[in-house]
Amino acid sequence: MPSRTMVESARTFVPPTVLLVALLAIAPEAVAVPSFARQTGMACEACHTVYPELTHFGRVFKANGYTLTNLKQVRGVSGKKEELLALSQTPPLSIMVLISDTQLKGSLPDVANPAAPGLAQNGTAGFPQQVGLFYAGKIAPNFGAFLQLTYSNSSGSISIDNTDLRFADVTVLPDSSPLIYGVSLNNNPTVQDLWNSTPAFGFPYTGSNASVSPLANPAINGTFAQNVAGLSGYVFWDESLYAEVGGYRSAKQGSANALTGAAGPLDGTASNVVQGLAPYWRLAYEHNWDRHSLEAGLYGATFKLLPGAGVPLTGPVNRFNDVAEDLQYQFVGDEHQFSLLATRIHEAMTLDASFAALGAANPKDDLTTWRGSATYYFRRKIGGTVSYFSTTGSTDTGLYQATAPGGPGVVTSANGSPDTRGWTAELNYLPWLNVKLTAQYTWYSKFNGSGSNYDGVGRNASDNNTLYLLLWFAY
Amino acid sequence: MHNLKKISHAPLRTEGWTRRMVLLAGAIVLGASATGVGADEAAVAIQGHAQMIAITVCGTCHGKQGNSTHPKFPRLAGQNAHYLAAQLKAFRAQTRGDPDAVGYMWGMAGELDDTTVDALAGYYAGQKPEASSAGRDAAMVARGREIYEHGIAAEGVPACGSCHGPDAHGLQEFPRLAGQHAQYILKQLASFQSNMRNVAIMHGVAQNLRLPEMQSVAAYLESRP
Repeated sequence: MPSRTMVESARTFVPPTVLLVALLAIAPEAVAVPSFARQTGMACEACHTVYPELTHFGRVFKANGYTLTNLKQVRGVSGKKEELLALSQTPPLSIMVLISDTQLKGSLPDVANPAAPGLAQNGTAGFPQQVGLFYAGKIAPNFGAFLQLTYSNSSGSISIDNTDLRFADVTVLPDSSPLIYGVSLNNNPTVQDLWNSTPAFGFPYTGSNASVSPLANPAINGTFAQNVAGLSGYVFWDESLYAEVGGYRSAKQGSANALTGAAGPLDGTASNVVQGLAPYWRLAYEHNWDRHSLEAGLYGATFKLLPGAGVPLTGPVNRFNDVAEDLQYQFVGDEHQFSLLATRIHEAMTLDASFAALGAANPKDDLTTWRGSATYYFRRKIGGTVSYFSTTGSTDTGLYQATAPGGPGVVTSANGSPDTRGWTAELNYLPWLNVKLTAQYTWYSKFNGSGSNYDGVGRNASDNNTLYLLLWFAY
Repeated sequence: MHNLKKISHAPLRTEGWTRRMVLLAGAIVLGASATGVGADEAAVAIQGHAQMIAITVCGTCHGKQGNSTHPKFPRLAGQNAHYLAAQLKAFRAQTRGDPDAVGYMWGMAGELDDTTVDALAGYYAGQKPEASSAGRDAAMVARGREIYEHGIAAEGVPACGSCHGPDAHGLQEFPRLAGQHAQYILKQLASFQSNMRNVAIMHGVAQNLRLPEMQSVAAYLESRP
């Protein structure tokens, strides 16, 4: 998450597209939770092709609120025979550990002493990169949780991570089709989604937190992870047609009211505060036949942000309207697993606040990002993914700023363009289903608007190419 | 969703989508046992409960009416209730050891009680099996039919039909095989061969079968209505 010092002390508006730079500390993370296996008594493969990608059964398990249990229950019953308690005898706790090493193709500048420029060490050992503690499973009848606390080496502290609390139930319609319906309370738009083609649980499932990320990123693509609270209602008809509507409000972590020192309310000292409720919506259809599963869907959200950061939380806002399409195909065999994931997010920005404050050169901008990935596994033991990603958008020298005179560059754009594209490829080996070894490489052919000298001080897109080695396990 | 709890032990207001069903079932079972009346209604309620489980839990893999489309998950529609109940009990007791039984069904059946087992078996036995739409090799089907009907005397393989019936609809402990996914039958035959699925009679039948013979029998059975 963006640290307070980085974001809230900023005197000028920091658009979500730029917040990503501060979000570098939060890398995507693979999530498959052994507590679910303990709770259901089923092997990982019931819910995952290879974690964290969900199978159809896994999607239905999630839609049903993580509550399917085949464990003995500790029960409480009232005199009116109401069930007051149903606790699994084994608490649904899990630990996840990521140990990694990251190498950038081009070393970063050492900014300790601008008068004596040098280079930072190249190579970052993450030991651990991250340790996660999960409560993942049933809490009560119809009520379950996926709740993650994470220690990260970049913050050196423990903080809330992706969280999805669900109430869900199911009924059978007269035509014998099941209708699952529920409510999700979560802290990251799309973390509640059932498919891996949407951002929160999309590829790459794990990534370095010691790499360089491009400036531009659509708001729905993780920008507000862990700093919003969302409530949404959903229906999943016949395990095929899914519809969801909800809204998000700011729920900042590590933030306090400047006057009282209490957790809130938010005021103009905070930055990028969601005005009112940011609507979120999702529509998807899935068809399953033989060993195949195909999903196509739409999703989106509209965030109106008050810049804050020293400006009272009134007046003009910046509006980010995201509309996205996604597609997922899976072949789930015993020997072979193959999947294709794709999403395209289009963001229309109306930057009334930033433009007035000279934080944006244009009153309106747009951004389009898309990612497609293909994954293959043999016997869930050995596999890999190839992924292409691209971001294009309008040039805005206010939004995507050039390197200040004498500055180190790297996270800047000399031409004000957000365009970035490249490939990620990774190889995975799973000696056991809950242990994964990963070697991942990311190539950039364009970064923040250019292939060469993109920051104006000599850094090329390929200098940000990243080799990432990871040991992942959960138990 | 919920745990597939024991109906007779259900605390009468229980969780999830089965709440009303279990309330009804529990009340009726208790009432019936106290008064000796209403047994039919109790049976209806129990069957309703099983139908809910079958459609909303089992159905995710096996299909709402037991006509699964994914060949990993066997078709259960029209299956003999006796056989189904025996399998669910074997999963529960962890005595059926083929890989998918271990990975999926040991957990799913772990907390089923006998009443629910029998009701689920009854639900699937009462469903209409749909014909498989899988493509078939006519020569393979013909060879499979020959093996099914006459066995392979030279290899000591008896005719499958002698136990599973001429129409492959099975009887009592001998399962219905007609319309079953060929891939599923193949995996089971392999499991009988290796004794991962430890059934003496089927180990004896399958031990001398070669892969092309198994494939032929599986293709024939999948083609049967």
